[in-house]
Amino acid sequence: MGIACAPSALGTAAGADLPAIEVRNITKRFRDDVPPALDDLSIVVPQGVIYGILGPNGAGKTTLLSILCGLLKPTAGTVRLAGHETLSPEVKRMLGVVPQEPAIYPTLTGRENLEYFGRMQGLRGSRLAERIEACLQIAEIGDQADRRVEHYSGGYKRRLNLVIGLIHEPRILILDEPTVAIDPHSRSLIHQRLRELHAAGVTILLTTHYMEEAEQLCHQVAIMSRGRVAVEGDVHALLARHRDDSIQISLDRDPPSNLAQALQGLPSVGDVNLSGRCLTATAPHPLEATLALLQTLGEHGVGVESLDYGHASLERIFLIYTGEDARP
Amino acid sequence: MNGNLSRFLASVLKDTRIIARDRQALILFFVMPVLFVLILSLALRDAFGDRPGATFPVLVIAQAGDRVGDSVEASFRTNPHIQLTRMSRATEAEVRAWLVQGRYKFAVLIPDDATGQAQRRVGEIMAQVPPELRIERQVAVRVLVDPALRSDYRKVLEGVLDLALHEVEMRLAREQLEQTLRITQGKDYAPLPDMEQTRLLAPLPAEPVTKGAVGPTPTSVQQNAPAWTLLAMFFLTVPLSVSFIKERDQGSLFRLQTMTVPAWVVLGGKAVPFFVINLIQMASILAVSVHVLPWLGGDPLELGDAPLALLVTGASASLAAIGFGIAVAMYARTTEQAASFSSATVMIMAALGGILVPKTVMPPLMQDLALLSPLSWGLDAFQDVFVRGGGVRDVAPEVLGLLAFSAVCHGIAILRYQGRL
Ligand SMILES: Nc1ncnc2c1ncn2[C@@H]1O[C@H](COP(=O)(O)OP(=O)(O)O)[C@@H](O)[C@H]1O
Ligand SMILES: [Mg+2]
Repeated sequence: MGIACAPSALGTAAGADLPAIEVRNITKRFRDDVPPALDDLSIVVPQGVIYGILGPNGAGKTTLLSILCGLLKPTAGTVRLAGHETLSPEVKRMLGVVPQEPAIYPTLTGRENLEYFGRMQGLRGSRLAERIEACLQIAEIGDQADRRVEHYSGGYKRRLNLVIGLIHEPRILILDEPTVAIDPHSRSLIHQRLRELHAAGVTILLTTHYMEEAEQLCHQVAIMSRGRVAVEGDVHALLARHRDDSIQISLDRDPPSNLAQALQGLPSVGDVNLSGRCLTATAPHPLEATLALLQTLGEHGVGVESLDYGHASLERIFLIYTGEDARP
Repeated sequence: MNGNLSRFLASVLKDTRIIARDRQALILFFVMPVLFVLILSLALRDAFGDRPGATFPVLVIAQAGDRVGDSVEASFRTNPHIQLTRMSRATEAEVRAWLVQGRYKFAVLIPDDATGQAQRRVGEIMAQVPPELRIERQVAVRVLVDPALRSDYRKVLEGVLDLALHEVEMRLAREQLEQTLRITQGKDYAPLPDMEQTRLLAPLPAEPVTKGAVGPTPTSVQQNAPAWTLLAMFFLTVPLSVSFIKERDQGSLFRLQTMTVPAWVVLGGKAVPFFVINLIQMASILAVSVHVLPWLGGDPLELGDAPLALLVTGASASLAAIGFGIAVAMYARTTEQAASFSSATVMIMAALGGILVPKTVMPPLMQDLALLSPLSWGLDAFQDVFVRGGGVRDVAPEVLGLLAFSAVCHGIAILRYQGRL
């Protein structure tokens, strides 16, 4: 599959224990009269993980990535890539960047784009030719390799955009919303490729506002809101932590207006969230709470379609920590 | 091969491909300037006085064989700006109608027997007949004129006519004098010298005096060919700056910044194809001016005999234009901004630099201001070669100016690209 990775500075000289990416107290202020885009933000991305940065539009995800790859200078704070604070040519060579909008030349063919960026990354000769073929395969765009990119579909453009970031086999891959507005086939292909890269030892940092994507793909996440990290950690740990005391009930009809108030008053039930026909509640003693909830629902003439315990989702965690809906 | 050299070549190849695939731009780069030179050189041929262009249809009504009429006709015919028609007879009403219709702008009506009448009058004058006893009057030569004729041109035509009449008067007077002398001196008579042919006070042909260089003024093609070459070159700053901003908008420029690609590789990769386009533009405009223009009835361009000086001038003008375009691109936010700013400044520099209006017709203050425009330096250098027969040494000051301008622009652009400005 061509994802096999050459040995590099990372993992040898730099030391295996160093985080791939370390962001310490970064602040980025574009203008003095608005709150900073990044506000004293710190994250640590260990080597070899898929790390997701989640956040609604405007949270500061792109700004953070731009600072990581040297396109923006932070107002304050430090960034270390594999232990290096300066983005020297050696450090830059470890880094693969996949921008949010496909950064490709529309009047060049896919192959010509790969060739150009490959050369810019210092590849030449048979090695360049090998990498171009490998990347065309990874992206599954070989059939259109010699067509101009302007004639590509959106999914093809994004897949090409992805593999241009891989042409030089980076050890750290940074992707900004790699699957936004994309067809399902291209999305699952990209997921599959990212897992393969992970298996080959590449550290992957991606941003997304699709919570399911983060849940399926990422090992660790940071949920960002207004330039800060609201919550961060291992995905399984996060889900487990929010698992035990929640109850989800699907209602069989739209609830009457006084239902929410009645539910709120139940002694055995904690937080109650009623949105549409979807009822979520937290409860330290699920059985008691369930009985109380069902009785109250019955009193209001509402039936139950399904009932589920402890099913936490990043979607819900996100809602809890940011007070915002992940989907714009 | 050095790593950055390989990157540079890849950059040149990439930008060449992008430009070569942009048909519209190619037409704009090559066809437009050539058409401009052809049209303007032909249209402005007369304004530069290369040829008898602005011609005035003049009508002379005089009896066939009348000496006054012949003389007027002859002197109008020597003037290349006059397109003369002679008729022996027409009524005044007819002449007026022709003037109103615009067939003639200036009509001279010489009465029948004008010569006889003039001869009789000069005879009376020579015989010292007192004015109140003379029988013959002055011959009434009348002039009818189109009121739309510019008054300065009318004065010129009146002057030509007056001179012709004076000449006839002098000749008739001399003949009368000779006749008298023959009678009074008999066999001792010696013919008088031909006074009309031996002028006492001869006005030399006017010498054009231009600021700085005294010498021939450029003809229309000597003005237009280099002027439009330079304008075409500088107009390339528009597509050049736009292509940069497009690259930035497409994100590819940012992607390059995440790699270890030096600024000169990125900027140079664009500069090279545009430089080549500039030289092709120059070659095609000059070739058209030399070979196609005469075929369409214009004067051919004489290239002078310093091809190296032309090449050096063209190359440095191109580098100046490219530097300017890249600097604009580094500061403009949108393609629209880049396009409108660069085209507006290029037009201003062109107007100021004597590209749109020749410097020779500008008042002295404007001629001084023209020196601010790099296009003016380029034009001077080209004309050093075309008009004044100069070589590399003569164009050196202008070429150095263009190279300095280019260096400053490139310097600003590189610092800005690296985020240091
Ligand atoms: N170049 C810039 N100049 C000024 N403000 C900016 C710039 N880039 C981003 N911002 C602001 O910073 C905030 C974060 O933007 P961004 O990082 O693009 O968010 P996200 O990628 O999470 O959607 C937004 O409020 C945005 O308006
Ligand atoms: Mg973004």
